Amino acid sequence: MTPDLSVTLAGVKFANPILTASGTCGYGEELADMYDLSELGGIVTKTITLAPRLGHPPPRTAETCSGMLNAIGLANVGVDEFIEQKLTFLEKFDTKVVVNVAGTKAQDYVDLSARLADQPRADMVELNFSCPNVEVGMEIATNAELAEKAVAAVKKVFPRPVIAKLSPNVTDIVSIARACEAGGADALSMINTLVGMAVDIETYRPRLTNNTGGLSGPAIKPVALAMVHKVYRAVKIPIIGIGGIADYRDVIEFFLCGASAVQVGTSLFIDPTGPIKIKRDLLKYLARHRLKSIRELTGQVRIYS
Amino acid sequence: MSVIVESQITVIAKADLRRGYYRLTLAPFSKIRSIKPGQFIHLQVPQCEVFFRRAFSIYDVDREKRSLDLIFKVFGRGTTALAKIRKGEQYSILGPLGNSFAMPSKKEKVMLVAGGIGMPPMYFLTKQLIAKKHDPKRILFFYGGYDKADLVDIARIRKLGAKVIPVTENGSSGFKGLVTEAVLKELDGGMERVRMYACGPEPMLRAVDALAVERGIPGQVSLEAPMPCGIGICLGCVKELRAGGHTRVCREGPVYEMGEVVI
Repeated sequence: MTPDLSVTLAGVKFANPILTASGTCGYGEELADMYDLSELGGIVTKTITLAPRLGHPPPRTAETCSGMLNAIGLANVGVDEFIEQKLTFLEKFDTKVVVNVAGTKAQDYVDLSARLADQPRADMVELNFSCPNVEVGMEIATNAELAEKAVAAVKKVFPRPVIAKLSPNVTDIVSIARACEAGGADALSMINTLVGMAVDIETYRPRLTNNTGGLSGPAIKPVALAMVHKVYRAVKIPIIGIGGIADYRDVIEFFLCGASAVQVGTSLFIDPTGPIKIKRDLLKYLARHRLKSIRELTGQVRIYS
Repeated sequence: MSVIVESQITVIAKADLRRGYYRLTLAPFSKIRSIKPGQFIHLQVPQCEVFFRRAFSIYDVDREKRSLDLIFKVFGRGTTALAKIRKGEQYSILGPLGNSFAMPSKKEKVMLVAGGIGMPPMYFLTKQLIAKKHDPKRILFFYGGYDKADLVDIARIRKLGAKVIPVTENGSSGFKGLVTEAVLKELDGGMERVRMYACGPEPMLRAVDALAVERGIPGQVSLEAPMPCGIGICLGCVKELRAGGHTRVCREGPVYEMGEVVI
């Protein structure tokens, strides 16, 4: 019998645990040129803001050892065009749509979520409290009290599950995770990028016009795993693991540390078809380990005492 | 069926063109028939320090052998790694990517301006023009470099039948000076309808673009930008449009009308 890859988070059933991470798959149109988006468990859209944003001037990405820095600056079409053009495009695919939203103040998250409330294609919203590149949400991301209030306010207006995306750029991620849970978050996704920097030694200029950027890719996977592991033991809501996932082994690691689903991000830039290969390889792994479902793996890491 | 594919491709031949220039022949590529001049491929040479794929303009294709040729010059970490690959090895290729050149009218004289390693798409376009029966005598191929050693594969370009004008800054071959100076001299001597195509280093493209806009000469430039993804999902390779807003070089480009982009 074929092992089961499906997972259910906050009552939303995903055909498989592989979602594409926000900011690494646009609104799905480009990936759809390569394969059927129904192959994905879910797609997390590029961050949507109330007004359209052009983003930072280039250069806004830089290659690093086993990863990348980015400071795109939340370039997006804005919520109106998103609902009219982008969300309708996603209607033809049998996959879950998670709309990632961000604002400069808690009320922006509420307004955005309210706009999406009557859009059934938006299966979930993911609150981006943690983009390190713009003056967006960062205060909420690093302040447990504000995070709890913001989640609670969004929960009042959005009728479907709400995910809080956590920043690793905090002193105690557990306290923020607990605050989001207390505010009513249905799931957590973690981690967003780590603040980083790279400098051109010939010109003395930072490699990004924003000076600093968010580090992503395999370089951050160990950090993400440690944080997922820590938060898993502190909260009851499901965790979506993010950080340097490039193949099925990475997915298994995240599950063992406590994830119930994952998001593939930066590695899509290198292989947009990665999620399909990951699914194929996960099935082989589960069969080899005589597991009926990937769900059996969540939190099963055998820690040393 | 997908427009863009990711697949394994084998290094069929690797030629050392000296002074850091190499030519690679890769096969098989399933989308060989759909490739158009101006398009590029994204090649992965996996290493810790070479995290992203590297984009290369398509130099030539052989539809029978399903092979494609690329030329590169060792410059940074990516091309240093690429220079070490060997015949018979397999790598992941993604493509074909980007838009392509618009064909000229047969009434137009075509001026191609190739600067150094910007030559490959100009060659591929020339080959296509000749295949489409554009009079070779009305195709001028300006090929500029610092030294004649930079004018790699010039014999192969000449074989196409177009008029090749070598330009070197040190005067070791052909016209002495910058390629744009040679272009200017030619423009001043003629009254015909001209269309220009250019690919090369940014200062050269900026000069050609400005010249074309100033004289009202239609044409296109092929731009280069570091491209993390190559398919339009990372938004890393954007450039500013003169009309406002950003354009993704990998997706809306790399070929743009003269004057369209702030170079």
